[in-house]
Amino acid sequence: MSEVRTLIVDDSSVMRKIVERSLRQAGLDPLTVLEAASGTEGLEVLKTQQVDLILSDINMPSMDGLEFLRQIRSQNLAPGVPVVMITTESSEEHVKQAIQAGAQGYIRKPFTAEQVKERVLPLVHAA
Amino acid sequence: MLLNGVRRAAIANKGEDGGKERERAMALSLRGSLEQVTDPANLDESVNEVFTMMLGAACTRDKGRLEFEAESVTAVVGFGGLLSGACVFRCGAHDAMKVAALMTGMEFTEIDDTVKDGIGEICNMLAGAWKGKVPNLAANCGLSVPAVISGHDYNLHVQAPEFQLNHVYRAEGFRFSVMIVCDGIQ
Repeated sequence: MSEVRTLIVDDSSVMRKIVERSLRQAGLDPLTVLEAASGTEGLEVLKTQQVDLILSDINMPSMDGLEFLRQIRSQNLAPGVPVVMITTESSEEHVKQAIQAGAQGYIRKPFTAEQVKERVLPLVHAA
Repeated sequence: MLLNGVRRAAIANKGEDGGKERERAMALSLRGSLEQVTDPANLDESVNEVFTMMLGAACTRDKGRLEFEAESVTAVVGFGGLLSGACVFRCGAHDAMKVAALMTGMEFTEIDDTVKDGIGEICNMLAGAWKGKVPNLAANCGLSVPAVISGHDYNLHVQAPEFQLNHVYRAEGFRFSVMIVCDGIQ
């Protein structure tokens, strides 16, 4: 597999590390991780960097994950790059909102590395 | 420490897209599922889910009291929407460092920002897992971002909650408490 450049957007630095570790355990290797602590920071990263995969939390201060996703699509940043939401919100309504905003995948916290593998790897392979 | 500020943040976080009419309609069914909302087993399952999946640490209920060492760490995540209140996670400073170490693979000798961040995230996942046990709550109750307090000699004061669950848990090498406080169901 060629290098997978991944943007992880979460206001928790600990959660960004956990997501990165789960991606490595899932077999995404070689992996380069770019980090952002909010949707606003995530957009700034995408304006200057190319990525192959985006994983984003939803509940974040300043700009939440759904608005971040809408902005990615409306500004045509990272076209064709799969976006997976990772969040504590798990209702059908939240999943529907994420899919409508343009997400390709949804992982509920807490999660296992196996769940990350099942939901993220097929998207990376298909992209 | 009062919880009202966190609860207001959760309500603000929920946004305005739900609409009052939908909330009124859903409130009936939430009142109808009050037994499910207050079921202590939901909290036990949520705690086990979070700690087993994220830390690889199975937890058991501990009937004893949680005696805090000099310094303790408390994380609060507010609920807003059909149910208002908060999820409160509390443990001693040494246990907080053990939890953060299990989450990150790092070692800690003080309650730094990473430890606080980790404890806040644990509380966030507990709140999300707990509300996820009741479908109407999952869809119609927002969460605030976590607030984390650390220090000596502080107490948590809750004014006349509608209901409250307060459990102590033990895992390998650490103990902690989780409290669900509900001060209103619409």
